[in-house]
Order: sequence, then structure tokens, then C-alpha cells
Amino acid sequence: MTPTTQTALFIAVVGVAGIFVFMSFFYLIILALDKYLPYQEEKPEGEFIEEISEESEE
Amino acid sequence: MNSLLSIADNLATFWNFTGFANAEPGHIVMILVGLFFIYLAIKKEFEPLLLIPIGFGILIGNIPFNEAANMQIGIYEEGSVFNILYQGVVQGWYPPLIFLGIGAMTDFSSLIANPKLILIGAAAQFGIFAAYIIATMWGFAPNEAGAIGIIGGADGPTAIFLSSKLAPHLLGAIAISAYSYMALVPVIQPPFMRMLTTKNERVIKMKTPRVVSQTEKILFPIMGLLLTAFLVPSGLALLGMLFFGNLLKESGVTRRLAETARGPLIDTITILLGLTVGASTQATTFIRWESLKVFGIGALSFIVATVTGILFVKFMNIFLAKGKKINPLIGNSGVSAVPDSARISQHVGMEYDPSNYLLMHAMGPNVAGVIGSAVAAGILLGFLY
Repeated sequence: MTPTTQTALFIAVVGVAGIFVFMSFFYLIILALDKYLPYQEEKPEGEFIEEISEESEE
Repeated sequence: MNSLLSIADNLATFWNFTGFANAEPGHIVMILVGLFFIYLAIKKEFEPLLLIPIGFGILIGNIPFNEAANMQIGIYEEGSVFNILYQGVVQGWYPPLIFLGIGAMTDFSSLIANPKLILIGAAAQFGIFAAYIIATMWGFAPNEAGAIGIIGGADGPTAIFLSSKLAPHLLGAIAISAYSYMALVPVIQPPFMRMLTTKNERVIKMKTPRVVSQTEKILFPIMGLLLTAFLVPSGLALLGMLFFGNLLKESGVTRRLAETARGPLIDTITILLGLTVGASTQATTFIRWESLKVFGIGALSFIVATVTGILFVKFMNIFLAKGKKINPLIGNSGVSAVPDSARISQHVGMEYDPSNYLLMHAMGPNVAGVIGSAVAAGILLGFLY
């Protein structure tokens, strides 16, 4: 195996590993986003007004 | 008598300037290639937005003319209109602008909803590095091999960006090869998808993705930009613009900018890019043994990318519980031919179960592939520039 091929193999291994590391970070970021900022269904405006009026009655 | 001779001289001079006098077999071959691209675009509807400008550019670039006359019409003649427009390719201005438009039209919801799909986009990039090693073994210099390998990402702008930096003399061959294989996704991928999957795997139904909040969609490009800046700064030119475009789309307050980026801007750049890349395939510089080798390695890298994407899904399925398994037919979408390869997943999946809609699931690895190939380009640039 020539030194050029050896270097190419090294870069390829580092490259593939690098992409997986990068994507794994992304994966973790998305999991964190889902955990700390989960989707919440927006309440219709009517419901919101009802809640406010209930609070004011109390 | 003298005036007759003078007329004959003038006619001879005129003849020397015509295409008939300057045409060589290479010009004819390339003109036929250009016509074939236009045929594929119009008749077969393979990537018409790209193949029409490229095909027409090939015709323009291969009009035979007297190069010694310095008429300033060739793309390689300094100061000619085409040469000025070509600077956007050579200097790498166009690809980041294309990525801005892609970002403004991409919805990352499918990826955010099922983040493990992002790993498929990583696995498919193996094709790039396999081709890089093969190109090195075939005698290409390391920088040339890196530029050739990126064809496996199936991402035209990334291929142009990287080859303009690493191997400008191979830019025409690499760009044409990358765009050709992108256009041929419907022909190249399905046989490998069928070959590598069982009938049971092809009918796996995946769970409907969860709803993604607007906050997640806004934070995703910001986090992506920061991650790129810290991990692969050499990929910032492409990924930075991709995430910027996506933030314009998702922020909800820059609708006009997002519409410009995904509309008039990307269209203008696509025209300029396609036309000049096509014109850069001038027969005298393009028809070489090297170009054929680039095409061969490019095809191989694209196939390896498709295969590794599918095999990686099968590997993931070993660890996933029943009911959470992934349909391996979306593995081909790990390459960044958006949305063509995702459409192929859907199309092939429906052949075996017409009620199985894979498109929304396939879009996840597909957009991950865009990120993955840009990261791969950044890594190669970091090592080989």
C-alpha cells in the first residue's frame, strides 16, 4: 500500500467518523429540543377568554 | 482580376471564422451530449431545471470558433461575458447562494420528528469516501480524488464548490457527472433497493411522525449553524447559508426574504450555474481520458452511497423494537438528491403496498443527506485544501 493510499484511508476513516459525530450531536440537540420545548397544541382563542373570565370570577 | 482575388481572400478569411472550418470531432460529440441532456430534460423530465441550462450551455461551449482570433466568446477567454459569469463557479460564489435557497425551501420537520433518521444521512456519505480512496488508487492526486469523491453525495452545488477549491481543472467533468447522476436517480437507485431488501422489509409501515413545534423549527437552524461553526468551520460556506435560509423560512417574520431566496434568487443562480457549467465542457478541455474516469468513479460512489444507506437501515433495525423498525426502502434517501430520492422511496414502496406512504419518512434522511454531504465537503476541504 502506497503512502498516498494510506493517507487517503486515514482521511476516509476520520471523515466517516467525523460525519457520524456531527450527526450524533445533531441527534442529541433534537432530542433536547423535544424534551425541553415539546409541542403544545395552541388553545383556541375562545378557550383562552373563558379561562381568563374564570380566573377573574374567582 | 485583383478584385476577384480580394473577394476570394475575404471569403477564405470568413470561412476560417465559421464553425464549419473549426469543427473537430470533439465538438460534434459534445454537441450530441448537450442535445441528449436537453432530450432527457424535456422528454423524460429528468431534473429539467438543471439539465436544460446545462445542456444548452454544452451547446454554447462547443460551438466551434477560431480560438486564435481572440473574439472573446469562449468561456476560457479572459474578459468574455461567459468568463465573467463563470467566475461565480470558479470562485465558488454560486453554490452557497443555491444552499441559501435550498434552506429557504426545506422543511426539517420530518427529521426533527424522528431524529434517528439523521444517521442514515451520515451513513450514505460513505460513498464519498469510498470513491475518494478508489480515485487515489487510480492515480488521481489527493485533492483531485477528494473532489471526485464528492459526486457520491449527489449534490451538484457541493460538488461544484469542492472541485472549484480542490481541482478546478476537473470542475466541468465533476459537475456534469454529479448532475447527470442526480438526474438519473430514478434509473440508478431502484434496482439496488430491490436487490438489498426482502419482501417483508419493503412493506414495513412506519409510525406517523409527531408534530413539531415552531420553536423547535426556529432553534434547529440556529443550533445547526453553531454546531457547524464549532465542529466543521470549513463547511460554513454551504451549511451556514443552508441554515440561514431555513431560519428565514421558519422565523415567520422574514417571509419576503425567504420567498426571494427560494424563488427568484435560486432560479437566477441555477440558470447562471447550469449555463456556465455546461459551457465549461469545451471539447478541447473536456474530452480526455480523465473525464471518463471521473464518470466511472462518480457512478460507483453514487451506487455505494445508495447501498450503504439501505444497509445501514437494516443494521439499525437489528436494534430497534418491533413497531419502531424503519423501512429500508428509505435508506436510498441518505444521498442529498432532494426530493428525488425520497420520491423514489415512496414510488418503490407503493409497488409492494399501495397504502404505505414513505415520502414523509424518506424526507428525513434526504435532508440529512444535504447536511451530511456538506459536512463531508467541509472535512475534505479541511484536509486537502
